[in-house]
Amino acid sequence: MNELFYISSAVAAASTIMVITRANSVHALLYLIVSLLSVAVIFYILGAPFIAALEVIIYAGAIMVLFVFVIMMLNPGPQSEKQERLLLTPRMWAGPAVLSLILISELIYALTSAGPQAATLRVVSPKDIGVSLFGPYAIGVELASILLLAGLIGVYHIAQKGRQD
Amino acid sequence: MKNIFIPLITIIGILLSLTTVSAGLIWLERRLLALWQDRYGPNRVGPFGLFQVIADMIKIFAKEDWVPPFADRAVFILAPAIIMIAVLMSFAVIPFAPAIEVVNLDIGLLFFLAMSSLSIYSLALSGWASNSKYSLLGALRGAAQMLSYEVFMGLSLMGVVIVSGSFNMRAIVEAQRDTWFFIPQFPGFIIFFISGLAETHRLPFDLPEAENELVAGYHTEYSGIKFGMFFVGEYLGITLISALITTLFFGGWLGPVLPPVVWFLLKTLLFICVFILLRASLPRIRFDRLMSFGWKVILPLSLLNVAITGAIVLLWS
Amino acid sequence: MSSPNIIQELENRFGKGSFTTQTTKDNIPTLWTASGRIHEILRYLKTGTDRPYRMLYDLSAIDERIRNNRQGQPESDFTIVYHLLSFERNEDIRIKVPLKGEHPSIPTITDIWKSADWYEREAWDLFGIDIEGHPNLKRILLPPTWKGHPLRKEYPARRTEQGKFSLTEEEHLKEEEAQKFRPEDWGITQRGNGTDFMFLNMGPHHTGTHGIMRVMLELDGEEIVNAILDIGFHHRGAEKMGERQTWHTYIPYTDRVDYLAGSLNNFPYVLAVETLAGIDVPEKAKVIRVMLAELYRIASHLVWFGTFAQDLGQLTPVVLTFNDRERIYTITEAICGFRMHPAWFRIGGVAADLPEGWERLVKDFIDYLPPRLKEYEKVVLQNAIFKERTVWIGVLTIDEAIEWGVTGPNLRACGIEWDFRKKRPYSGYEQFDFDIPTAKDGDCYSRALVRFQEMRQSLRIIKQCMDNMPTGPYKADHPLTTPPRKERTMQDIETLIAHFLNVSWGPVIPAGEAAFGIEAAKGNNTYYLISDGNTGSYRTRIRTPSFPHLQAVPKLCQGLQIADLIAILGSIDFVMGDVDR
Repeated sequence: MNELFYISSAVAAASTIMVITRANSVHALLYLIVSLLSVAVIFYILGAPFIAALEVIIYAGAIMVLFVFVIMMLNPGPQSEKQERLLLTPRMWAGPAVLSLILISELIYALTSAGPQAATLRVVSPKDIGVSLFGPYAIGVELASILLLAGLIGVYHIAQKGRQD
Repeated sequence: MKNIFIPLITIIGILLSLTTVSAGLIWLERRLLALWQDRYGPNRVGPFGLFQVIADMIKIFAKEDWVPPFADRAVFILAPAIIMIAVLMSFAVIPFAPAIEVVNLDIGLLFFLAMSSLSIYSLALSGWASNSKYSLLGALRGAAQMLSYEVFMGLSLMGVVIVSGSFNMRAIVEAQRDTWFFIPQFPGFIIFFISGLAETHRLPFDLPEAENELVAGYHTEYSGIKFGMFFVGEYLGITLISALITTLFFGGWLGPVLPPVVWFLLKTLLFICVFILLRASLPRIRFDRLMSFGWKVILPLSLLNVAITGAIVLLWS
Repeated sequence: MSSPNIIQELENRFGKGSFTTQTTKDNIPTLWTASGRIHEILRYLKTGTDRPYRMLYDLSAIDERIRNNRQGQPESDFTIVYHLLSFERNEDIRIKVPLKGEHPSIPTITDIWKSADWYEREAWDLFGIDIEGHPNLKRILLPPTWKGHPLRKEYPARRTEQGKFSLTEEEHLKEEEAQKFRPEDWGITQRGNGTDFMFLNMGPHHTGTHGIMRVMLELDGEEIVNAILDIGFHHRGAEKMGERQTWHTYIPYTDRVDYLAGSLNNFPYVLAVETLAGIDVPEKAKVIRVMLAELYRIASHLVWFGTFAQDLGQLTPVVLTFNDRERIYTITEAICGFRMHPAWFRIGGVAADLPEGWERLVKDFIDYLPPRLKEYEKVVLQNAIFKERTVWIGVLTIDEAIEWGVTGPNLRACGIEWDFRKKRPYSGYEQFDFDIPTAKDGDCYSRALVRFQEMRQSLRIIKQCMDNMPTGPYKADHPLTTPPRKERTMQDIETLIAHFLNVSWGPVIPAGEAAFGIEAAKGNNTYYLISDGNTGSYRTRIRTPSFPHLQAVPKLCQGLQIADLIAILGSIDFVMGDVDR
């Protein structure tokens, strides 16, 4: 299992780097989807098959499709690709890269200093998730749904406004 | 060593038989359409024209594998592969018979939904990569249609999940020992069937291709083997949806006398023929009507179905 | 149909000197007037007079420069002919304007009739007559790179008279470039209403356009903001050929104008020639003609029905209706020896008598079709999705239909019972018992209903033809009929010479003008023939129904979706051969 975990983690990391460095937005999105899929595999390995499935259905299957959809509608030409390339100059990415490196070294330090922990692998079933969502985390769920509702109404309002013009 | 071989053989067997069967479906569809249209259909190559499919395949393989110069090459090639992979992966969780199954996954149903949501990319990306307006329009239609109908598809299946108490396909089939789910879950069945039509974009929902309007929609620019992948992918999709209807609503392999796998195949074949009959008889619905039908009729109905099923199950137990 | 009162009325209003009257063989009041007051006169005819002439039925031109027989007509090099139609009077009027000079000009009347747009462009394209004030004076039937105006008399009719033809790579690229759609040429912009529009070039090769035609769409999402039609890909110069062929040898060309309706195209042509020659057609020939015409009407409608259903995504009806059409062709093959384009009508009758046993074939068909029609009605016309796709889509009101020159089933779908077979019976239609189906909404569904019912009425007519087929000759006993009679040729030299000349050159039709309109499958089809006392026509004008119908499409599809455009194109039933000629 460990090998699978490392492979999928490596795929996730590599594809995420590709997402950042692609100039063509659809290519970048494709790598992002790959990254999400590998994260889903990690979830599955860690004993959360339900979350893995949701990751694919919702993130990779729905939200990213919407991204592709929007990009298709906007239809950025070769011009925007050129613009994107300009953003990739060393001056632009040096700062964020340094900050990320600091974070990564911190993470590595934290992981190594704590020593090997016994992985308590327990399969989380859909039922467990349901119970905890509507039990201890009920308020969180409600808050999230209110946020989504607000978003929904906002989108509806904006779309209506565009139509009247 | 032995326990690696058996799944491998199952996988290869299912894979091969699926691709053969779905290619054979092309023949079946042409013959059935011809029957309903007072024609002969393919009847020259081999007995009953059965080898027509092989001839077509040879033709498609031998064709020039052409990528239009204005297309985005990498994505253009990737797109047809996605639909084949996504649909074939979905078959992994379908129990053909008690002993024939690739994996017995606890989240089998969710796995199917995940894979079918990935197959949208095939349409969207092929339309985008073709860099043609007809393809783009087809892809936009396809993405919107499949995205919406996937929601209804998932919701319509929740009724089955509530009644059977599991996402596991095998458990769902076993739960139908007494009554097939199309009786208690009749609305769910209808909604799933309609969404299945929309997901496989067959008439009357074949808007992403709509040959009278968009030439061939998202695969206008495709030819040769890449077009063949879309083509076979469509028939694989029909087989998948038919197999799922069989599994989820019509008792899967359950049935008297005959061996389980024969029952499964018979039921699946029946639904495939229903798909073809629909194609022979119905006109195409308009895109905006399809969407409003989905969100205004199907969505409330499927939510109602989930709520009522949940309430009944709660009261029963 | 002579009506001196409208001539009187116009002379009273505009002064006696403004007009010169001309008598024509078809008795349509024909007035010559100078181009100065044409606007006023046409506007008066359209709106001023009671029972007005509301439809611009036809607009064309005549190159008069080498015409010999013009007694009593004003001097003119080119003549513009306006042909108007009044529904209230059931009368036509023809206004002619003489123009002088090599490239004359005349003010546009697009502000009076919208339908004048394409007709005036056609006059410019084919005659080189400049239309002043026309919003968009471009070539319409010929490609934009074309040189010369083909219907002018100096333009050669044969390719061989024009020297060697070559198309270099460079010229080819230039032609391709000329076909490119530039929105600014058509006065439309890419941006507006806060969005960027998308331009979609549909055709000339597209599955939904029924032939080679191009629609350039300006789209907001899938909604059509503007549609521009580009026609002429199917132009074969049918009118020019009319000037080259003899009266008799032109008949096969007419078959190919509306190539789905076979003999129905011969009908107006031979009737117009017979009017010019003063030939009375015997009863039997009339009934044979009617029977064939109705058979071809059903054939045309069957193709339309199948392809319309196909346009809406139904796969099966088209195969079934083509199958049915084959049965019609079995009949026409037995009678004419040809299936699609028999060219069976002759000046003065038909080519031969009916074969033995024809009744059995016709009877089989009359028994066969009604159950099939019933089935189509159930499967297609009553289908909920079919209705959803067609009801209230592409609505044409009566006024709009008349403004755009729409005739035939498309006009009847708006609620007017207007059918030449009833209103101006020709070839003995007055003796038949049949109804004119109408609908009232003018949408795609109404058009479908009207055509569908027409098939049943045509079957009624065919049945009556079969039951009451007269006996007697199938061709008139007249010296100008073709092919000429042979019975007496071997008796004396004079008749032999006459026969020889009539066979080798064809008959000489007396000088004059005549137009004859019939109810063709797609609407009113009129042949306007001018004879200069020769073996061929001096000018052949074909007024086809599909031309104005297609012109109305951009108006019909505005604000609708691509799928609706396909439904509209299917429902108006046009054939590119009929549009481009």
